[in-house]
Amino acid sequence: MASGQPAYDFQDAQSGDLGALAAIADAMKSDSLTDRLESLKRLNVLALAMGEERTREELVPFLDESIDDEDELLLSLAEVLGNFVQYVGGPKYAYVLLRPLENLAAAEETVVREKAVESINKLIEAMDQPQVEEYVIPCIARLSTGEWFTSRSSAAGLYAAAYGKVTDAIQAQLRGGYEALCKDETPMIRRAAASNLVGLVTRVEKSHVVSFAIPNFRRLAEDDQDSVRLLAVEPLVAIGERLTTEECRQSLTDSVQKLCSDKSWRVRYMVADHFVAIAKSIKDKEIQEELVNVAVSLMHDNEAEVRSAICTQLDGLADLANSENVAARFLPPLQELVEDQSQHVRATLAKHIGTLCRVFGKQGTIEHLLPLFLRLLKDSFPDVRLNVISKLDVVDSVVGIDSLSQSLLPAIVELAEDKQWRVRLAIIEYVPLISSQLGVQFFDEQLSNLCMSWLGDPVYSIREAATVNLKKLTEVFGVAWARTTIIPKILAMASHPNYLYRMTTIFAITAIAPSVTPEIVRDLILPALESLVTDPIPNIRFNVAKSMEPLASVLRSSPETAPLEQTTIRTVLAKLEEDPDPDVRFYAHKALESISNSA
Amino acid sequence: MDMLEVDIGTLDSWIEQLFECKQLSELSVKNLCDKASAKEVLMQESNVQPVRCPVTVCGDIHGQFHDLVELFKIGGNSPDTNYLFMGDYVDRGYYSVETVTLLVAMKIRFPERITILRGNHESRQITQVYGFYDECLRKYGNAEVWKHFTDLFDYLPLTALIEEQIFCLHGGLSPSIDTLDHIRSLDRGPMCDLLWSDPDDRCGWGISPRGAGYTFGQDISEAFNHNNGLTLIARAHQLVMEGYNWSQEKNVVTIFSAPNYCYRCGNQAAIMEID
Repeated sequence: MASGQPAYDFQDAQSGDLGALAAIADAMKSDSLTDRLESLKRLNVLALAMGEERTREELVPFLDESIDDEDELLLSLAEVLGNFVQYVGGPKYAYVLLRPLENLAAAEETVVREKAVESINKLIEAMDQPQVEEYVIPCIARLSTGEWFTSRSSAAGLYAAAYGKVTDAIQAQLRGGYEALCKDETPMIRRAAASNLVGLVTRVEKSHVVSFAIPNFRRLAEDDQDSVRLLAVEPLVAIGERLTTEECRQSLTDSVQKLCSDKSWRVRYMVADHFVAIAKSIKDKEIQEELVNVAVSLMHDNEAEVRSAICTQLDGLADLANSENVAARFLPPLQELVEDQSQHVRATLAKHIGTLCRVFGKQGTIEHLLPLFLRLLKDSFPDVRLNVISKLDVVDSVVGIDSLSQSLLPAIVELAEDKQWRVRLAIIEYVPLISSQLGVQFFDEQLSNLCMSWLGDPVYSIREAATVNLKKLTEVFGVAWARTTIIPKILAMASHPNYLYRMTTIFAITAIAPSVTPEIVRDLILPALESLVTDPIPNIRFNVAKSMEPLASVLRSSPETAPLEQTTIRTVLAKLEEDPDPDVRFYAHKALESISNSA
Repeated sequence: MDMLEVDIGTLDSWIEQLFECKQLSELSVKNLCDKASAKEVLMQESNVQPVRCPVTVCGDIHGQFHDLVELFKIGGNSPDTNYLFMGDYVDRGYYSVETVTLLVAMKIRFPERITILRGNHESRQITQVYGFYDECLRKYGNAEVWKHFTDLFDYLPLTALIEEQIFCLHGGLSPSIDTLDHIRSLDRGPMCDLLWSDPDDRCGWGISPRGAGYTFGQDISEAFNHNNGLTLIARAHQLVMEGYNWSQEKNVVTIFSAPNYCYRCGNQAAIMEID
């Protein structure tokens, strides 16, 4: 079987054809894993043919008994069974699927267990209260007390869904069961309990947040394994959200402080990564003030990952801090971070530092932040430069374009010639925005040449972006401006000896055509393209053909120019349709067809 | 000539799908590689396939699909830019299937705009060791796709000649071949020196450490270029840190287009635009 075709042809199975059904059944017992996998994908066909009753009584038990040892197959089965309720007779029979899924939830392979848990949760969703109590609760109990860690670990993922569907007495039972998992001697189970605690925190009664969730959270947050402690961060946020400010202060302050200064960097990383969420859920102003100090210390953390994570929180952090002293508190760590030895930390900082402008205010930004931006713009790592450029619009909106242009424009112009083309690309994409704010005179003096030089960039994507840029500039500064400034320059390139320039001419005028008037197309653009019909390079000629369609649609918009579609454009295309090159003929023919259709 | 089984619309949709790094179905690959389309197109080409300017010349890709997409971002899209690929599309990288399928589909769609030569990895034996075979098994569950492609590889031309001046091939020269006419007369079959040889600082022919092909000195390339009226030999096959490397007093240039080769070499990649 290693080579060759699949041995079973399932094509006709949809029709319920008996032979095909037999083929599915056979394939389930095949030696080839591929065939068995294929048969699972068609299990619904088999179930439909067998009917609900036989599916419940024969197919499902068969699947349960014949549980395979190939993980790939088990994974597929776990998924299929979660979507099988309709084939066994609807929600009231959903319980029959529990048994095979319970076995799968105890499988050795993690992904199989996770999929089985997901599917059981789907079943719980479909079941009503008595059924959950009769079938799911015993199943959870069995898994929770399983001897092997795999079943206990899966059990942790089932409590939350079941909790909302049972009576008070059973809820108490579930809380007890979950607490046992939180105290389990195997760290892996405590990890599962920690990562599933959030689901319970959001579902239990407020009184049980205090009596059940908090003690268990504390236990996990003080676990001797750092891999468990770090998973306590998300439950912390969830618990905080359910408590009042006063309750937070009483019950959580201690744990927050401990987690923030945990000796394991992985825990500190989780705290840093969730920092704003933690601070917001705590609500208490005083603690939040202290947390800002913690954030500052995390900015100085020994581990680059932690410093990087806290940088992602700068936006929310700025809101937490009292804006009067925010500059004083954040500046020293920021000044260190722009010089951080890790380029990833600097890149993350560059991406988020712009959001601080808001709280620094105009004066503060100009005085304190612009020098930092300037440093980052000159960073040796391209991602750092790229990230800071892509956020410059936020800076604009705070300090105004004048200050920005004075202090940063030289650096921006320098980056317009950066060796990394993605940096150049980011600058180009930023140009229409600064141009619209700086005005036409400034543009013509400072940026115009730059924008035209990008059309001759060695990298195609830059040339392409440069043409889009010209289109946007035409929209900003108007058609009259484009006619006298950029269009003549573009058209002059049509006689450049290097074919790439001639190609760019075609791309550029096709791009800006929809933004100019039909008269410009008639008087300037069309003649330039006509001159390229006899270009020696076929690639130029078929791009002339490709450009005719968009130009025709511009010409059509005015009664004065509309006739050109059937005269000049048709003539150009007719000539190209006779071209010796097959691709030129192809695109000319295609354009002619579409013109005829629209006529 | 047979009707093409695969029409232009289908090819365009395949190319679009492949650019998203989604493999074609086994049946589509079969149709793509089948006699009526790919083999027909490739069989009409010479073993010294003439190529006109402008053209962008590329070296090894080795299944680094995303780097190939990047290459098109830098060099321009097909068919607007003409391309000449000098072999080694498969093995080593994680996306040999998508890479070679895309290049073959582009070749069939725009035979005049793209030329694909054979590299030493376009071979049944080599692909069984260096990854393409395993990747086909993993992605299709059987070896059919590998079989379709390795059958097709036998039809790839070995060399190309740009404007009668620049001789392009995957590896290098062979002591048993003096002229382009000689190569034109070769059967497509395994002419392994052309796919395996490397230039070397030492004069004359040398034994290649690769165990196949030869090393050739500047005297050899100078004589070959002179005798055949050539200005340059462009080849791939060797990792060069800058992506390209002139050697033998600009008689030979090496071009390598897989950046950070095998995802760890830290090299740059290059392409060469000729107009």
